[in-house]
Amino acid sequence: MASESGTAVSAGPALRPLPRPRAATRSGAATAPPEAHAVADASDGGARIAVIVIAAAWHLAVALPAVLRAGPGMAFPAVVAAGWLVTALVGVGAGVRLLRGGLPAAGPLAAVLLVVDAAVVAGAGERFLFSTANWVWGGLAWFFLLVLWQRPVRWLLVMLAAHGTTALAAVVLYGATAPADLSRAAMYVYGTSTLPVAVFVGAAALTAQARGRAATAAATLAVAAEREAAERARTERQARLALVSGTAEEVLAELAAGDADPADPAVRRRAVLAAARLRRLIAESDDVPDALLHELRAAADLAERNGLPIDLVSVGTPPELPVEIRRGLADPLTAALAAAEGWARLTVVAAPDEVVVSLVTPEHDGPDEPATGGDGPVEHLHERDGEIRWTQTRWRRT
Amino acid sequence: MDADPLAADVNAGTPIGVAIVDDHPVVIDGVRAWLAREPRLRVLATGDDPDEVLRAAPDAEVVLLDLRLHGRMVLDKLAELSAAGRRVVVYSEHSDPTTMLAALDAGAVAFLAKHEGREHCVATVLAAASDRPYVPPALAGAMVGDARPDRPSLSDKEREALLLWFQSMSKASVARRMQISEHTVKQYVDRARIKYTRAGRPAATKAALLARAIEDGLVRPEDIGIYRSQASADRPTP
Repeated sequence: MASESGTAVSAGPALRPLPRPRAATRSGAATAPPEAHAVADASDGGARIAVIVIAAAWHLAVALPAVLRAGPGMAFPAVVAAGWLVTALVGVGAGVRLLRGGLPAAGPLAAVLLVVDAAVVAGAGERFLFSTANWVWGGLAWFFLLVLWQRPVRWLLVMLAAHGTTALAAVVLYGATAPADLSRAAMYVYGTSTLPVAVFVGAAALTAQARGRAATAAATLAVAAEREAAERARTERQARLALVSGTAEEVLAELAAGDADPADPAVRRRAVLAAARLRRLIAESDDVPDALLHELRAAADLAERNGLPIDLVSVGTPPELPVEIRRGLADPLTAALAAAEGWARLTVVAAPDEVVVSLVTPEHDGPDEPATGGDGPVEHLHERDGEIRWTQTRWRRT
Repeated sequence: MDADPLAADVNAGTPIGVAIVDDHPVVIDGVRAWLAREPRLRVLATGDDPDEVLRAAPDAEVVLLDLRLHGRMVLDKLAELSAAGRRVVVYSEHSDPTTMLAALDAGAVAFLAKHEGREHCVATVLAAASDRPYVPPALAGAMVGDARPDRPSLSDKEREALLLWFQSMSKASVARRMQISEHTVKQYVDRARIKYTRAGRPAATKAALLARAIEDGLVRPEDIGIYRSQASADRPTP
């Protein structure tokens, strides 16, 4: 009969769990999915490494040789050297935190750097004011970036302003107020500030952009997955509808032609089966099938193929449940369904915190179900009251 | 099956007049045949237009209304009839919970899924005629699964009775399972239904259901959040 091949077609995909996209992704980039954060983190991670390398290179390759060269010629060589060492320690500490994905303590470290700034300018003395031995002018701004990473850009601007003020104060105090000196100082401040600001702002912008793009991509993927699942559900449903209409039409045609007798129990049973199947199909209102309902439906289809008229009614949308809870809910029912005789009523009542699945079948002489019990969060109940056999599983969020 | 015996007593003399509105003649014939076997009921008029049917049978005590007429959901018509005091029993193949609850909100006395069969249909119409609730299993499922934020608050027993009634479709089995009498099961279920008269916009039919429930002692006004002044004349002082 046509129904045999037809059911076989629908049974294949019916047993495969369908993907269930997260509802949250629909709200867009505002609540970016974890995938987007991962991409943004990767982009940010690259920028962190770049800034650490620049600061380290400047400190070791430019500042250190200049300090060593100038040596005792400076006003307070020990102060300049100590400042270099303190800055190196700050850099290592902040760098390690950044590489581990964290953020350094911006406030205290920034204060330390500003103190170092003033001390080194003073320690270098007038003679070395515009030389690389006064290494804070050129190199310290990169350390500002390290300690202020991912903080608001205005913090950086405030620090650079303090840095510039220190330099200007030194220029004025040492009396280097000739126009040439002043313009040189201005050029120094400008030249050493713009690049760090550009890097800082650029890295933040790139990270934000990466996050936005990844969020869009993730949302698009989620929509596509949902569409695919809905499409698959629709195709499955159409296949089943074709099959059901086929069997229903067949019975109706035979009845109309007088070939089938409505009084014949076999004919009535066929009519009952076709009607039950049509009802179940009509009751399927979910566009993206829930995994639990999907399993129960597959079990119902299977039982029906063995000639058992079965009603499956579900109320509410089950929450996303771990596989073992879904098993706990569905397995006792599928077992009871296999032993059912006469008819069966399968119901699901679902709320975010509770799911109750029940199977009721008429009492028969067959073997009894495994005893009532429950493992873990799913309670399992089996009862015979002389009229019906009643299997119920119930999960409550704890 | 679970019809309230009181419903019959009230109208022992003359049969209850019923109007059937459906756009499928075959359904009308089927329902007419169901009701014809019940001597307490008499079908007065049938048709596919509620206004025409009620013009033909202005005295109909219960209207059986198919919720989808000519491809359109007639919830607005249902609300209009209920507001005017018509006892409307909605019966529909659309037995999704949202539709059922919307029908109750609009003032339907009861909701019957078309596949629920003759016994439920007769019992529902009989109960409706005397402004008493009747909750067929599908409606019980919709009520117990109601997740709307403004849903009526049901007691644990009421919820359990609704759930088990929805699952088993047998009040005897529910009674055994809950270790109470069938009568008590029905009380829990009906009380839950009465709480729904407070949901949605007011309608004459809802007021009638509520008034009858209070009269029958099924609910107390304070159980469902109706304030009654202590100075009220008809309230015996303790």
